[in-house]
Amino acid sequence: MPSDVLVELRGLEKEFSGTKALKGVSLAFRRGEVHGLLGENGAGKSTLIKILTGVYSPSGGQILLNGEPIRIHSPMDARRYGLGAVYQDAELVAGFTIGQNILLGNEPGRFTVSDRAIHEAAAAILTEIGIPMDVRRPAAGLSAAEMQLVTLATLFHRKYKLIVLDEPTARLSASESEVLFRLIQQFRAQGITIVYISHRLKEVQDICDRASILRGGMLSATLDRGEITEDRVTELMVDRSRADLETYNQGHARSDMLLEIENLRTENLEALTLNVRAGEVVGITGPVGGGMEQVARALGGIVRHSGRVQLRGRPVDLSKPTKVRQAGIALIPEDRRKQALFPALSVADNICLPVLRSLQRLALVRPRAKLAYADGVVDRLSVRPRNTGMQVRFLSGGNQQKVVIGKWMSAKASVYVFVEPTSGVDIGAIKEIYDIILHLARDGAAILVVSSSLKEILALSDRVIVIHDGAKVAERPKADWNYDDLLAVTMQGRHRRAA
Amino acid sequence: MADAAASTSATTGKLQAARRDESPAMRLLRRWGTIVVLVLTGIGFAFASPYFAAISNANNILFSMIVSALVSMGLTWVVMAGSFDLSVGLIVTFTSIVVAFLIPIFGPWLAIVLSLLAACVIGVINGVLVTYARLSGIVVTLGVMFVLDGVNVFITGGYQVPVSYSELAFLNIGQGKIGMIGVPVVVMLVVFILAHILATRTRVGHYVAAVGDNPMAAFYSGIDVYRWVIVSFVLSALMSGIAGVILTAISSSAQPVGGQGYLLEAFAAVYLGATVLGKGKPHVLGTLIGVFFLYMVNSGMNMVGFPFAARQLFAGLVLILAVGANAALNREELHLKFI
Repeated sequence: MPSDVLVELRGLEKEFSGTKALKGVSLAFRRGEVHGLLGENGAGKSTLIKILTGVYSPSGGQILLNGEPIRIHSPMDARRYGLGAVYQDAELVAGFTIGQNILLGNEPGRFTVSDRAIHEAAAAILTEIGIPMDVRRPAAGLSAAEMQLVTLATLFHRKYKLIVLDEPTARLSASESEVLFRLIQQFRAQGITIVYISHRLKEVQDICDRASILRGGMLSATLDRGEITEDRVTELMVDRSRADLETYNQGHARSDMLLEIENLRTENLEALTLNVRAGEVVGITGPVGGGMEQVARALGGIVRHSGRVQLRGRPVDLSKPTKVRQAGIALIPEDRRKQALFPALSVADNICLPVLRSLQRLALVRPRAKLAYADGVVDRLSVRPRNTGMQVRFLSGGNQQKVVIGKWMSAKASVYVFVEPTSGVDIGAIKEIYDIILHLARDGAAILVVSSSLKEILALSDRVIVIHDGAKVAERPKADWNYDDLLAVTMQGRHRRAA
Repeated sequence: MADAAASTSATTGKLQAARRDESPAMRLLRRWGTIVVLVLTGIGFAFASPYFAAISNANNILFSMIVSALVSMGLTWVVMAGSFDLSVGLIVTFTSIVVAFLIPIFGPWLAIVLSLLAACVIGVINGVLVTYARLSGIVVTLGVMFVLDGVNVFITGGYQVPVSYSELAFLNIGQGKIGMIGVPVVVMLVVFILAHILATRTRVGHYVAAVGDNPMAAFYSGIDVYRWVIVSFVLSALMSGIAGVILTAISSSAQPVGGQGYLLEAFAAVYLGATVLGKGKPHVLGTLIGVFFLYMVNSGMNMVGFPFAARQLFAGLVLILAVGANAALNREELHLKFI
């Protein structure tokens, strides 16, 4: 194996409004190696990668390419240096064919583009990689996995020196993952460096030459191939210093069953049966893309699903988001700004949206009643600043999350589904949001928390479920889990010991 | 429960394969529907009026649609790139005036080049404001439209600008004939062929289409998105400029006002044209057919004796029907865009 260093990071730092996401990471990627990158949520993996590919600029430290310091200002810059990435949510041009997408930006021919030349070149690439797909198929009808494969194929002609793959198997089946691993070997044989981010330990053990583990914004260790064992990785990943958040769910579960889910299935989720009592918090975790998100999306009426869902013993129709809302199920999505808030509207407008009907007289909304109502919610959730006239986009991530919750509280939902409730939330506000969630439970709501943060799951839940590769692999009361155990099951998809 | 899941996955599968597994009749309808309607309408008019199917009438239709066709083909680029250009109609008037002013100073050929350059400058301004300055395409080009309207009246003082009858070479562009066919019709067809090649055989068309379809994917594929948006506005302005020059040559003078009518026709033609060959996205050939359709219907109804009001009404209904049929044939799963 060639041992010369291609890219070196020296003391890389990144600060987001006072919070340090990276605290001086020094790391070297060698030419032609597959370098795994492991770490919990918030350990700094994505920040590191975004700096490397020009999406963020570092607050401190240096990046060296072949020993020369370089500055990367934009994704275009990164591309010029030969540093590329495939993000989890890669996009294609829907109106183009697979072939046109694969060669987009790099079409053969000098000035003219020939449709035939594009498709021949694309077909050659797909044959070389071993993906049997018709290059003339329109990209519009592709499944998520097929899109991911097409995106991988675009890497082929771009002459990268280093490629970052961010959870590339999250959307792939086992056989499709095999194609990916073959592709990685081909790249490696050509001397291309691969940085491989994954939550699945087995993949990292199988394909990585070395693996670096990040913890709390710092490099924990870099392990050689033989040293990547479960015990070692778990030990290096867990950030003991942050281990004790003060919030802890004391248990508010009542005896009456509120939400009964029977054989809920989606395309990426095997039949799931789950009952939640009033006041109970059920945590759902697992690797990103492994199926845990599907539970939330199905309950929110966003994805096609089958199965039976009952609320207080009565079946509910979850075919559309409007019906879900009428049934009293609130989905608080991860991407708040896009899916739950109206950034240019004021805090009051956002909070009052579901209850406008009750705030109006003769079809006119009474401004004073609206403000009074919004003030009440803002007080209860301690949204800061306490200004209901402010546009929501100027609030911090944590306070935006409180507004989303406030919006649903006013709609009097009886089931709350939280997806990654504290992603993008500043540390100070995390505890407040936990308190709000537990408060909702104490008031008798049934709560599902879908999160990849194990600490979060353990802090909030009465019961914890692990979903791996679309199937529920474990379900136990919180008291029966400890952190290391849960981490092991999440990464491996099975129990380590009978514990 | 297993069969329930099977049926779910079957429906999802069907959804994804819908475009490939549709019945041959549907596919035929999607691809040829607009053209079939066009041909049937033509046959209908031919039966209703003995003069309709004459070659001279075809020539008339082509001649009357020249300016509109050029403007519409130009607008096609901007709509392809995912924006709007409301300034096209006024660019016609503006270029028409500029060329009429410049002919006595620089002679016809340099005057044409300079006036087309002026049109391109407007295109660059539109494009830069929409991209680098981050303004909305609708608002920017609406503003430019008003500005040009003002400029036109200012520089002409509100009077028409005549072109001397001694400028035979220039007037020949608008009024000359090659055999039976008017020179401006030839110019229009040449511009069409060039634009069609540019759109289907070169990077320009390829990238403008990619940017219009999914700018994010284009950006991450290393395509200079802003550049191609600006290019689309320049092409739009350039083609409207050519229309302006021809308009002056046809009427031997430039009018200070008017031009807004071309804009509305152009939008009708572009969206009608998007349904041609089942593409669902604007393309140059479709736009030309769309313009032809509108003018053919106009001519036919005129001959049959319908009043102007009825013609407008019919054109409006045809547009809504064509676009509606297209939307029904190319159903998206979730429709949340209302432009």
